[in-house]
Parts: sequence; C-alpha cells; structure tokens
Amino acid sequence: MSLLDTQGEIVGKAIDLLQGTLDMLILKAVSLGPLHGYGVLLRIQQISGEQLEIQQGSLYPALYRLEHQGWITSEWGESDNKRKAKFYRLTAAGRRQLHAETEKWNRMASLIASMLRTTPEEI
Amino acid sequence: MNLTRLRSWLKWMVKGQQLESEMETELRFHIESRAADLVRKGLSQQDAIRQARIEFGGIESYKDAMRASVGVRWWGELGSDLHHGWRLLCKNPAFTAVAVLTLALGVGANTAIFSIVNAVLLRSLPFAHPDRLVKIVASNRGVGARDIGFSVPELDDLRSRAGVFDQVTATISGDVSLTGGEHPQRLEMLVVSPNYFSMLGTSAHIGRVFGPGDEEQGFADAVVISDSLWASEFGRDPGILGRRVQLDNDPNTIVGVLPPGFRHPGSTIATDVEIWATAGLKGDPFPEYNRSLRWVPGAIGLLKPGISREQAQSRLNAFAAQLRAEFANDYPAKSDWSIEAEPLQDSLVGNVRPMLLVLMGAVVLIILLASVNVANLLLARASGRQREMAVRLALGASRARMIRQLLTESLILSLVSGMVGVLTALVALHFVQFLPTRIPRLAEVQVDWTVLGFALLVSLLAGLGFGLVPALQSSKADIAVAIREGARGSGTSGKTNRLRGLLIASESALAVVLMVGAGLLLRTFWGLLQENPGFNPSRIVAASLWLPVPDNPEMDRYAKPEILNTFVREAVRRVRAIPGVDLASMTTDLPVTHLSRRVPINIEERPDESRKGLFSEATGVTPEYFKVLQASLVRGRLFAEDDQPGKQLVVMVDESTARTFWPDRDPIGRRLSIGIGRAVTNLLWCSVVGVIKDIKNDGLDQSGSPHVYLPIYQIPRVRVLSVAVRTSLSATSLEPQIRREIQAIDPNLPVFNVRTMNEVIDGSLASRRFSAELVGGFAVVALLLASVGIYGLLAYMVSQRSHEIGVRMALGAMPSTIGKIIVSRGVGLTGIGVVIGLPLSGIMAPMISALLYGVRPLDPGVFLTVPLILLVVALLASYIPARRAARVNPIVALRES
Repeated sequence: MSLLDTQGEIVGKAIDLLQGTLDMLILKAVSLGPLHGYGVLLRIQQISGEQLEIQQGSLYPALYRLEHQGWITSEWGESDNKRKAKFYRLTAAGRRQLHAETEKWNRMASLIASMLRTTPEEI
Repeated sequence: MNLTRLRSWLKWMVKGQQLESEMETELRFHIESRAADLVRKGLSQQDAIRQARIEFGGIESYKDAMRASVGVRWWGELGSDLHHGWRLLCKNPAFTAVAVLTLALGVGANTAIFSIVNAVLLRSLPFAHPDRLVKIVASNRGVGARDIGFSVPELDDLRSRAGVFDQVTATISGDVSLTGGEHPQRLEMLVVSPNYFSMLGTSAHIGRVFGPGDEEQGFADAVVISDSLWASEFGRDPGILGRRVQLDNDPNTIVGVLPPGFRHPGSTIATDVEIWATAGLKGDPFPEYNRSLRWVPGAIGLLKPGISREQAQSRLNAFAAQLRAEFANDYPAKSDWSIEAEPLQDSLVGNVRPMLLVLMGAVVLIILLASVNVANLLLARASGRQREMAVRLALGASRARMIRQLLTESLILSLVSGMVGVLTALVALHFVQFLPTRIPRLAEVQVDWTVLGFALLVSLLAGLGFGLVPALQSSKADIAVAIREGARGSGTSGKTNRLRGLLIASESALAVVLMVGAGLLLRTFWGLLQENPGFNPSRIVAASLWLPVPDNPEMDRYAKPEILNTFVREAVRRVRAIPGVDLASMTTDLPVTHLSRRVPINIEERPDESRKGLFSEATGVTPEYFKVLQASLVRGRLFAEDDQPGKQLVVMVDESTARTFWPDRDPIGRRLSIGIGRAVTNLLWCSVVGVIKDIKNDGLDQSGSPHVYLPIYQIPRVRVLSVAVRTSLSATSLEPQIRREIQAIDPNLPVFNVRTMNEVIDGSLASRRFSAELVGGFAVVALLLASVGIYGLLAYMVSQRSHEIGVRMALGAMPSTIGKIIVSRGVGLTGIGVVIGLPLSGIMAPMISALLYGVRPLDPGVFLTVPLILLVVALLASYIPARRAARVNPIVALRES
C-alpha cells in the first residue's frame, strides 16, 4: 500500500493504467458479483495481485458513466460493516459489452504481442 | 441519446437534489471504508482519514466529473451560477436596486407602449374577415377634395356594378336624443344598411342584430344598442328586448344588445357609437334619390374573396371612369371623381400611426440608454472583481465558462428587471383609459401573451446587450496585469476606462436624439398654444344641443324654418338673460372642432373653377356669434337679425377664402351658390356681405380649407347647434342654467358638452399634448440616465485614482487643476456624444415630420438648445466628483495605498 506517496503519485513498479481500460476492469470486477465502489477498487487490486494502481476518485466518474450507458445498474444496500452503501451490478447489456471488450482486447493484445515478437528475418 | 441515457439524464434533471446527496454519501462511504482499513493497518484515526482523503484525490473535481458523466454538469453549473449571481445581487443591494430600477424603467416603458402599438396597429380588427374589410373613399381629385361622401345611387352602383364588393354598407354617424328617461339624453347614433353586422360577422350578445327583415325605404323600427348604453341607461335589464324607446321623438324597438367589446370601426363624432339604426336611405326623411346629392358621409365594403387590393383598385378605377362617362352632368370632367378602397384598419388607425411609431422609437432609445447605463455599472463592478477573475483564470477556469457565469448574472438582473418592468407597465396601462386622446381601439389595450413575450424578449436582449461587453472585457483579463494592478489597488485597466468612456459618449448621443425629438414635438405643441385662433377663447362657454329629426316629416316640429328660427331666437334671448352672461349666440359648429359641414359651392364669376367641383366648409351662425368670439371684421358688415328667409341670401367669408376665390377683386357683393340640402340641384345664389379675419375652425394645426359663414336663419334643416356665450361664469355653474332655459322652450331637447372654449381648444390638442409630454418625459429620463452615467464614471475614476491624484498634489498640482481634469473628462465625453448625436438626430428628425406643425425638422433652436442643456447637465454631473478630487488629501491618499 505504499505504492502511493503523499502526493498521490504512482511510484515503484506499479503499472500505469492504459486509457480506456478502467471501464473494462470495472465491468469485469462487477461481473463477479455486486460490489460497492470501494469494493470495486479492492477487487481490481486483488485480481491484479496489487500490481495495478488506480486513482481512487477516478473510479466514480467511470461508474457513473457506465451506469449512464446502461451497462451496470445500482441499488442501495448494506455493506459488511452494516453501513448504507451503493452496490453496482452488471446488466445484460453490460455483459455483452464486457464480452465484446474482452474480444477486442485479446485481438489487440495478440496483435501487438506478435508485432513485438517480429524479428528482422520475418520482414 | 438513447432511451437509457435519456432516462438517466431525466432522473438527474428531476431528482437532482436527491442524487447530489447520494453522491455525497457514496463518496463518504468510500473514504471512511478506506480509513477503516488504514486504521486496521495501524494508523491513528486522524491520520487514516487524512491519508484516505489524499489517496482519493480532489473530491469536488471528481464530483464534477461524475455530473459530467451523466451529462448534467452544464445544468449544475447553471444552477450554481444562478445561485452565485443571485447571492452577488443580494450582497450588493445598492448596485442591484439602481440597475434593476434603470432597466425596469426601460422594460416598463417598452411594454406599455408596445401593448398600445400591439392593440392599435398590429392586431387585426376583431371581425370575421378583417383583411377583406375596406373603407370606400370617394374623392374629387381634380380639386384635391378627398372623402366627399356618396349619393344613394352611387352606393347602389357600388353594390351592383363595381364587381369587387360582396357587400357594402352606408355609415352615417349623427346625434340622436333619447327621451323618456330622467333627462333627455343625447346619444351617438350610427345609421347603417341592414347588412352592416353580417358584413362584420358580429352577432348580438342578447337579442338579434339587423337582418334582411329590417329592409325599409326609410328607417326600420329596430335599433341595436351598445353594451355600455345597456348598462348605463337600462341597468343591464335582461327584459330590454322589445322595449320601445323614443329616439328623436320617433318610437323605435330595441331588438338587440351588442357584445361588450364591439366598437364601430370608423370615425365617430365625440364618443363611441351607442345606438345603431338601419335604413334604406330612400324614403322619408332622407333626401331625394339623386346622383349629385352626396349626403352619405361614409361607406364600408367587404371585398369579394380572392381579390387583391390592386385588382380591386383597378376595377374601381374602371368603374369610376364608366360612371363619369355615363353621367357626365353629375361628374364634371375637371373634378376627376374617383373611388378608392382603403384597408379598414389603415383608415381607422392611420392618423395615430406616426404618433405611436414615434413613441415606440422613443422607448427603444430609452431601453438602449438603460442598457448602456447598466453595462457601465457592471463594468465598474467587474473592474472591482478583476482579481477574482484573474485568479480563476490562473487556476484554469475556461474563458467560455467565465463568460457564461457573467452572462448568467446579467440575465438574472434583466429578468428581475423585466418582471418589475411588466408590473410597472401594468400599473401605467391602468391609466390608459384616462387618456384624453381619442386613439381608436384604445379599449382593446391589454397585456396579453404577445406583450409578455415582447417584454421577455426586450429583457433578454437588454441582458445580453449590457452583459456581453463587461463579460468579454473581464474574462479577457490579462492575468499578470490584473494581479499586479490588483495588488496596487487600482483594479482597473486603461482599456476598461476607455470602454466606459465610449459607453458614456454613446449614452450622450442617444440622449441627444431623444431630446431633439422631444424638443421638436414640444415646440410644435407650444407653438400651437401660441397660435392665434382668430378669436379670443377666454371667457367663452359653449353648450351643444340637438334638435330631433323624426322619420315622419309631419312629426318634425323644427321642419318649418319659421319655427326653427323662432326657437333659435328664443333660446339666444333666454340664455342672454342669464345673469353673468354678456353676449349669447348660436352656431352650427364651434371653432377648432372640425365639425363644420363640407358643401359644394360655385363662384358666379368663375364658372371654370366652379366646374372642378369646389368645396367649402360652411358654418351657420347668429348675428352675435362673431362678437362673442371677438373675431375682427375686415370688410363689409356682420349678419343682422334681418337676414331672414325670403330676404336676399347673404354669406360671409374669411380672409383666405376671399383671396382664393377672388384673388384680385373686392369680394363684397360677389355671389356664391352653396349646396346645402336640396339646394344642390337648383342653385341658390348668396351675396358676400362681409369678410372676417381667419378663424381656426378645423383645428389649430389645420389651415387651407375655404370657409363660408351663413346666417343660421337662412339655412334649412339645422340640427346640431351650439350655444356660445361670453361670460364671466364657469361652465359648471352655467350648465344647469343653460339646460333650464333651453328645456323651458322644449323639454325634450338634450343639452350636453357644456365646457369653456379653452377646454375645447385643449381637447383639440390633447393628442399632441400626450405625445409631446410623453416623449418629453422620456427625454428627461434620458438626460437623467446620461448624467447618472457621467457622474458614476467620474466618481469611480476619482476613487480609483486617488493614489495618483495624491501623488500629483504632493508634487504640487493645484486642486483646481485636478478638478478641471475631471470636469473636462466628463464634458469632453459628452461633447463626443453630442458630435455623434446631432447628425444622428438630423437623420431621424425628418421621420417625425408628420407630427410637426410650424416647426422644421431641422429647427436650429432645438438643435442648439439640446447640446447646451446636455453639456450643462454634464458639467453639473462632473462637478461633485471633481470637487471630491480637488479635496483629496495627499497624505491620506498616499498612506491608504
């Protein structure tokens, strides 16, 4: 947890989040079960093996955007410590979207990986 | 935007407040959960909260981003701008009050005048086919006589041969006496053809209007009354239908009451028409069926559908040509008789249009001035806020965002002012009904949606206008300069001062234009007050009476000239005997009222001239009349008691008429024939016995029509009479006495309109007084606004530059020199305004020439006085700040900064 210094800047070996991937990660996180905002943060950190750092505040505009798009939906419930919290859940449209995004990401990743593997002889 | 998004957006729009608080809760939950985790890791509660906040980042900016995510940021910003703007206005009540009052004045004046313009000029007449209704006008163009009226055969031809009208109705307005009540009442009556109401598409409120069943040769029995007469005379009695009333001693039956808003769309005598009668105009008591007897004063036509005005006019030209050829004796070639169809609305409001447009122009200038003034105020305040702006710009606020905020503030200001303005207008319009002027359709004036829309538009435009300049100006603030200047405490850049100077100059220019307009109108009005009416109006009291004309000539007790003349003599004798009355006379019409009869005349020695169809205004008088008026006899003699029927017919003319008819000869003894009544067909020659100095018979601002005077005793069938007496008594004290004396002779005669001659003259000038005083009032407001602007700028300049002034004084500048600098700035800016404003006025002035009389549009007096007044006021407005500047204590000023 010391990846952030007091200025909130990411230091050490944490990986910078690629533009536009946060939405995908959020969708993935809530696809595993309803989560509140802080839970989304914890789950992303958990599945990334603490490798990925995200600006905590930036989660929320993204959550709102996704809900506005209709990919996730929210309702108020009770957290583990018995407090009122807003839980987000994937919608059917969100599931399709996650699927499409995953497809796209995989294609892109393998394309870039193969490009990076390219040796001079292959050209 | 798809449906999901629209729903989410709408949710925010509707439940924004709730969602805001949910947002707050959600973020707090995040931070507190994080803090709890941190405490578990060993941080103290306090450190944990702090750390959690830092990790989270800028809460407000994320909230903003969240709002942006759902597309409601703009809305939220507007909300906060409104809130911010409102708070600013409340925090600064003096500024707000001045700005709101200034603008409310402008918006109020615009709303009030526009509601009149809307009702009178813009809204179409409240009839079924307003665009097809026309006033039919016959003219003898050859002698420049317009609207000469119709003969009954001509009306028949217009219906059957002209081929452009669906329907035509005659309109004959006149007086009638209603007897049977407490007093005999004089009413305004309109005689129309039976199709009048069906043409207009008006039906009765109760009962019926005229229909084909009312067709008679003479008068039909049925009459229709106005709502106001129903209320005033019959107490809204629902059983009024079928009631028999005595009109001019004839029994008539009331068959219907018109709806409250109905007004006759044409000229009336004194008030609105109160009673409508219908007649075929062919039997008794009407004159014989003769093409040359053009005794029907007016006609209204309903054009056939689908005929354009041009087509109608060309067919009417052909029609007139055909009649001229067919009846050459009745239409002398040189008279060039013609028919025009004038849109009814134009003919009804045509004469007030110039006045209303001038008033509208004046209030537009006022709102411009008010806007410039408020722009100036905002600029002054904006320079005080320069540092706020600069800091915000430095912190990364976008320029567009800041302009939006400033504009929101001015829009709040303008909308609040708009509301106050509309309220002001509502109050002002309450007084419209008391206006002495006879503007047609004034009763239709109301604040409707069109007017409110106009007020909103004016407010918004003004808000944008006065908000944009300061907004652009201050959002442009050069951060470095602003912060530096701000630190020094001056807070205003040279550029802003130049801009404010420009605004002051344009204010002065606008004020010049308004003042020149007002000056011209006031000079016209004062000139008319000074105008020599040709008689001495003081100490004259006049009263009107009406001799009834029953349908059956045998019932008419005044049909015989001897009886009529006996009545006139007896009435004059009795009124003369009232204590306090020095002289008494009777006349058919009073000076300046323009009620005289226009009659065709012939000059014996000039048959060529006569054949063109000469007309003259004719007035019948008793011998004492000119003595009562104290009009001067130029040649010959006045009328005498001996100028009787059966004796030689005599006539008097005024000086200009004598010059026109007999340019190079002595008029005394020459002969004229005057076409009154049946005399049109067999010429009756009258000898000129006297020449009188010109009397302004048709109004103080009218001249040029020929006038002839006849002895009342020699005119048959006089009906409208006015008593004119020279007296030291007031009209109110004379009224019951005159009524008692007249009704002692005939208890059925209504006596009405008892007033002094000066009141008659005032009444004839009422409309000019109204426009002159209103525009004059606007000019005073303009002057006030301009001087407040000058004062504001200079006072502000002095307070901002007290440091500089202090330095100058410390270096030895004289207080008087400092004062002079301030004054010369104020007067100089005004001077620039004058230099721009005068040519502008020169361009605008000819546009109001329709309202001027006896004053040229480029009157040098007005064009010299106005700049002088403005400069003097500017000098006064500059004086106080200048004195304050001169009294700046250098030590205090330097220490303060």
